[in-house]
Amino acid sequence: MIRTPLRPLARILDARARGENPEAIERENLRLRHEQMRDRARARAEGRLLILGFLFLCAFTAVGGRMAVLAASDEPGEPRAIASGAAIVAQRADITDRRGRILATNLATHSLYAQPPLMIDKARAARELAEIFPDLDRDRLLRQFTGKRKFLWIKRQISPEQMQQVHDIGDPGLLFGPREMRLYPNGKLAAHVLGGTRFGQEGVHSAEVVGVAGVEKAFDEYLRDPANGAAPLRLSLDLTVQAAARRVLAGGMTLLNAKGAAAVLMDVHTGEVISLISLPDFDPNDRPAPLNMGHPSDSPLFNRAVQGVYELGSTFKTFAIAQALELGLVEPDTMIDTEGPLRWGKYSINDFHDYGDKLSVTDVIVESSNIGTAHIAQKIGAERQRDFLGRLGLLKPTGLEMVEAPGIEPLLPAKWSELSTMTISYGHGLSVSPLHLAAAYATIANGGRRIEPTLLAGNGVQQGERVISETVSAKVRKMLRQVVVRGTASMADVEGYAVAGKTGSADKPKPTGGYYKDRVISTFASMFPADDPRYVLVVTLDEPEDRTGSEPRRTAGWTAVPVAAEIIRRVAPLLGLRPAIEPAPGFGVTLAGN
Amino acid sequence: MSYLEYRVKTVPSGLRKVLYLNWALVLLVTAVACVGFLMLYSVAGGSFQPWAEPQMKRFLAGMVVMFTVAMVPIWFWRNVAGVAFAISILLLVAVDFFGDVGMGAQRWIDLGVIRLQPSEMTKITLVMILAAYYDWLPANRVSHPLFVAIPLVLILLPSALVLKQPDLGTALLLVFGGAAVMFAAGVHWLYFAVVIAMGAGLVIAVFVTRGTPWQLLQDYQYRRIDIFLDPASDPLGAGYHITQSKIALGSGGWAGQGFMQGTQSQLNFLPEKHTDFIFTTLAEEFGFIGGMSLLLLYGLILAFCIASALQNRDRFSSLLTLGIAMTFFLFFALNMSMVMGMAPVVGVPLPLVSYGGSAMMVLLGAFGLIQSAHVHRPRGR
Repeated sequence: MIRTPLRPLARILDARARGENPEAIERENLRLRHEQMRDRARARAEGRLLILGFLFLCAFTAVGGRMAVLAASDEPGEPRAIASGAAIVAQRADITDRRGRILATNLATHSLYAQPPLMIDKARAARELAEIFPDLDRDRLLRQFTGKRKFLWIKRQISPEQMQQVHDIGDPGLLFGPREMRLYPNGKLAAHVLGGTRFGQEGVHSAEVVGVAGVEKAFDEYLRDPANGAAPLRLSLDLTVQAAARRVLAGGMTLLNAKGAAAVLMDVHTGEVISLISLPDFDPNDRPAPLNMGHPSDSPLFNRAVQGVYELGSTFKTFAIAQALELGLVEPDTMIDTEGPLRWGKYSINDFHDYGDKLSVTDVIVESSNIGTAHIAQKIGAERQRDFLGRLGLLKPTGLEMVEAPGIEPLLPAKWSELSTMTISYGHGLSVSPLHLAAAYATIANGGRRIEPTLLAGNGVQQGERVISETVSAKVRKMLRQVVVRGTASMADVEGYAVAGKTGSADKPKPTGGYYKDRVISTFASMFPADDPRYVLVVTLDEPEDRTGSEPRRTAGWTAVPVAAEIIRRVAPLLGLRPAIEPAPGFGVTLAGN
Repeated sequence: MSYLEYRVKTVPSGLRKVLYLNWALVLLVTAVACVGFLMLYSVAGGSFQPWAEPQMKRFLAGMVVMFTVAMVPIWFWRNVAGVAFAISILLLVAVDFFGDVGMGAQRWIDLGVIRLQPSEMTKITLVMILAAYYDWLPANRVSHPLFVAIPLVLILLPSALVLKQPDLGTALLLVFGGAAVMFAAGVHWLYFAVVIAMGAGLVIAVFVTRGTPWQLLQDYQYRRIDIFLDPASDPLGAGYHITQSKIALGSGGWAGQGFMQGTQSQLNFLPEKHTDFIFTTLAEEFGFIGGMSLLLLYGLILAFCIASALQNRDRFSSLLTLGIAMTFFLFFALNMSMVMGMAPVVGVPLPLVSYGGSAMMVLLGAFGLIQSAHVHRPRGR
């Protein structure tokens, strides 16, 4: 840029010579320069405006283009299907038990909706509807009909009788849409396994049924997928066994004043869960709302067998003994020091009774000695114990096909110290679900192969990792049989079926720390028949109390064991197990008399 | 050229001013408002209540405001710009203390007679003060760092106050509107390049640090971004608005389903169908053609504003017109891209169409300013 000088000397001298005011020249030049500057700024501003204008144009094109793309898109998406009334795939596959008996199916009902603009006599329609459905309010209906709405739902599901009655009102603005609902014909039976459903997207021609919990949610996509040709989902549950077991467990829970109970019956070779019960339970046809206060485990929706993790007490002793045998540290007749109390730092470990100075390994299990087990655990050590329990599947969520199962992590000690090793050996300091326990006992029972619990039938024998050898398995079974024959679980001696098992009564931890003295989780983990186990059964009672004696009895031998024994007595024949002894003479006659 | 250099004699005076109004702009604004009445009538299920009739009354009141503002000489508006801006800042602060909470955000001040939304007013007063500032500032100092910092403070102060309410949409509008005025005033382009580069860098940083311990946003904020990028991942939750409106747009097709026939909007699938999402109703009932027509109307309004700004040799008038046009543009651009899933849901109404009094009054007042600038522009040489 060439700047012209404001006071060019030549011109000024020239002007002076002519007697003019030289200031005028400067003013003139200043004015010119200002105008130049302004013109430049102006040109620049106009350029900027044009750039902005161009940007606007681009934005317009983008918005317009996008609109064109959306307008041209023919893919309507799911919700549009409702609006236009196209069918939602509502045919959800049935769920059956292992023998094909229905656990969940669909029932065709109708929904009732109104289109007020089409209605003729709104007042009469509202009055008669209120008569048919007492839960509807006449004035409210009338307000809705006379308001601005062009569409409203009146009832999501109505029975055929109700449909006929509404039809007889004869108002063209009252319309029906077919609607399938999920039906659980067995009610509360297997409620926790099945979970439940709710309506998803709702349209006038159908409504989507969505699983909300349990198997219904875990297999939601499979159940909804029309490609499966409505082939039912076959579960490993056995309906009759489930019914018998639930009945006994519910009775036992009432008799023993327990606040909850859980039972898991599992095939030791296939890992199939034959029966899974958690009490209190609910009716999946009318699934209650989740609690919005208090602990979730207070809700009947809470599945104690799968979601509840508890310290399961002496039932864990079996694992310590089995590992010690497997490692060759002890034999069943090795004598173990049981002199008490066993002091460890500021803690001391006590036994329920004083068992004298020494007991054999078998008797440590039979009498359930904490001190003896702790000594054995010391020989095993923290590292090896942790590894062994891990291989039994006790440290990770189970792979059960329920939506709740993968989230249930066992509670491990923050630091696996030597003290933890000792307490875990008799079932304190590690919390697992009853389902975990059943799977681990299945491994002990089946000759030593790791078992992953499953709810699907027909996958055959599991060839899991070998955790203990066949011989150790046999030795442990023999010891567990002794527990029933002459030990803490003597009430489990079911006639005709050799039951083996281990009791566990664990004081419940207080939420504030420490343990309650008068509240226990009482557990019996059993297997039958003892010589060649086919099934394991874990029964857990929450805060049981037998008040028939002179003082309340809470230990598993008095609570969980008799309940488990009664369950085995009922279900073993249903499972097709032959009793080992002949029925007493006259038994058949009595049967015929009934 | 400052107003001191006006040759006031060449500016029309008295009622003759009416002849010099930008009548094309008046007509376009009225046309857009009529589209709004039509849609409000439709979403109410074919009724003037509860939305269309109050909206019409408000529009008439707004037109009176617009003509009144247009009659007042533009140099008066220039002189009150500073005061107006100060008042709106004070009101914004006051809202934090005395404001009513409406729809989860603190935006309103109840004056008894009218409920005032200071953030709406700020959109205009900010543009006014920026235009006055650049009118005052000699052109050769525009890019001086100090003189760039002053307008930055003027923009960021109200934006921060509005963001605190919280109202992300309005804050964006303020920042972009202010930046546009600065750009048109001729601030060196390097400043803009740096800011844009920093913004891009920030976005990249946000995504790169995700999942690392020093991630810049909370997890839920990342999830919101995910949902914005793929609304189908949460069609019943946060993605509901967008999914439903996209369906409405798709179901409209080219010619639409016909007036009052839109299923999505009539069957109550659409949220906020009379305010922020009213465009979906239009697109569903009148299809691509309807949507494009509205877009065209907006485009014409913008084109007339830019033409008026180019014609006007008064720097304040020119910048003011452009700033208001930019704010108007951002209004509908943000709204439409939000509805079409190109921008996150930030809650910006569709200008002159969405139901709501405060926004319409302020917009019509702003068009009054544009008219005043147009009427009182320097003429001749």
